[in-house]
Amino acid sequence: MPFEFLPHTADVRMNVSGKSLEELFCDALRGTMQFLSPNAQENAARVQHTIEISSPDVTALLVDFLNAALSSAQENKETYADVTIKDLAATHVSATVSGYPVQSFGNDIKAVTYHEADVHKNEKGEWKTTIVFDI
Amino acid sequence: MFDISVLKETSENLWEIPKSFRSDMRVSALVYASEAMLKEISRDRSLEQLVNVATLPGIVGYALAMPDIHEGYGFPIGGVAAFDAQEGIISPGGIGYDINCGVRLLRSSLTLPDAAAHLEKLGSAIYREVPSGVGKGGRLTLKGKEFNRVLERGAPAVVAMGYGTKEDLAHTESEGCIADASSEPVSERAKSRGKDQLGTMGAGNHFVEVDVVEKIFDPAAAQALGIFEDQVTVLIHTGSRGLGHQIATDHIRIMMRAMSEYGITLPDRELACTPFSSKEGGEYFAAMAAGANFAWANRQLITWEVRKAFAEVFGEKAGVLDLVYDVAHNIAKIEEYKIDGVNRKLIVHRKGATRAFPDQPVIIPGSMGTASYVLVGQEASMHKSFGSTCHGAGRRMSRTQARRQVDVKELKQRLSEKGIVVNAGSLAGLAEESPESYKNVDEVVEIVHAAGIARTVARLRPIAVVKG
Repeated sequence: MPFEFLPHTADVRMNVSGKSLEELFCDALRGTMQFLSPNAQENAARVQHTIEISSPDVTALLVDFLNAALSSAQENKETYADVTIKDLAATHVSATVSGYPVQSFGNDIKAVTYHEADVHKNEKGEWKTTIVFDI
Repeated sequence: MFDISVLKETSENLWEIPKSFRSDMRVSALVYASEAMLKEISRDRSLEQLVNVATLPGIVGYALAMPDIHEGYGFPIGGVAAFDAQEGIISPGGIGYDINCGVRLLRSSLTLPDAAAHLEKLGSAIYREVPSGVGKGGRLTLKGKEFNRVLERGAPAVVAMGYGTKEDLAHTESEGCIADASSEPVSERAKSRGKDQLGTMGAGNHFVEVDVVEKIFDPAAAQALGIFEDQVTVLIHTGSRGLGHQIATDHIRIMMRAMSEYGITLPDRELACTPFSSKEGGEYFAAMAAGANFAWANRQLITWEVRKAFAEVFGEKAGVLDLVYDVAHNIAKIEEYKIDGVNRKLIVHRKGATRAFPDQPVIIPGSMGTASYVLVGQEASMHKSFGSTCHGAGRRMSRTQARRQVDVKELKQRLSEKGIVVNAGSLAGLAEESPESYKNVDEVVEIVHAAGIARTVARLRPIAVVKG
């Protein structure tokens, strides 16, 4: 399963995995957007944004990337189902996110936190991390 | 699971994790709780998080947990930590993403018999007047200088536009404005997220609730606050919305990058901090203060909306809904305390904790369907808890678990049988906020009352709940 939601006393934990680092970033973004539970606008034109982020390490990079996408979604009232990673290294990502405007969201995420986040490759070669949303 | 055998009860319902527990602790950690509560608290990571707070540079006295403590991210929710203004840090994680989330209590001249037959209509009117949910804008969209004025002047800025009175400001913590606020370190994205959110409630645990005063514990204090038995009151619980979330996100990122310059290493990234006296620390404080001002303006505008709903339903009979008090429970303030006989300027972080200065009203919202409390701060809070007390019931069940366990139809029926009218935008959200998801607020309040940091004045019972 690319992402699953687990209990946390006050907030929401999401476990994410991917066969590659690129897939991990894409799955984490899809999980974040799914949690927001967007109410789609009918017949809306497709939207697209470029996100470029640099961070001190790969874990911070993922959290900062998700926060940038979340902020854009909430600021512009949009949801992004598709991600194209143009460039990804341990401390830099450049990606295009695309999707649709929404009427509102069913759930709120105040922020994607660094708490418990740890991007790593396990012994099977899969990329994994936990992400905690402050809701 | 935290091994509670390491905690020593230093006085009744006050427990200490000694500094010797972990080599990186700079001070001890203190927890206000009964033994039964402590067992429950130890099940999640909140005590481990409290120990982490005790390691932060410049922490003064102790890291403190209130009885409603539960696991957060970095700092626990229900915690207080004070840092020296010269040598200590400021940490956005010690305030939280919802800057100046807080509560205000309005009192009416109506009694329950006056309102009982109109609750459905009142609930609907409030639901209509106060926009709620995620991504829904409010009635006021401000831009440029007007928006910056709200960030820098807070509730007085919207009162100047006609959305309230000077009397309202006199009954608001810091009169609804932290003067150190600046709109400059607030990013354009944060401003954009907040531009249409003034006067909106949001979602999650935020609500507007009509209550009735069920019990008076302290008649003299209640009289001084204009509260009497059977009186209809209104509780407003919300914060700085997307603006505050973005300020926290932006500045945690800035601090994470800057920390190494100050030689700060942390057990958890979410504790990201820099010295208060640093450029980054000063900018965060000014931005946080702007977020806090926005939240006070937000609750002020919601007050105007609630007054409009009351007037719509009750006409002139509604009278004036006076403000009892408005208090923050996610904030950092510069305050002075006497430590070992010396006055020191401290940066007091309250994350899920309420200011409780002597004789200051304290509003403690309970869970939907149980009770909320009015207290007044006590002198002892100034030397026992950095002028602070608890902030609510505190969650005990995860939102996921609540969604699984709570039957929403049954919950609505149960609330209806208790005479509570519910208007909620999201049924799943309603399940998450069910009474069984929270600790017993009566027990939480009993602990702070017995500790002498805040005295109970009155208990409120909900009669109409409005949620996003």
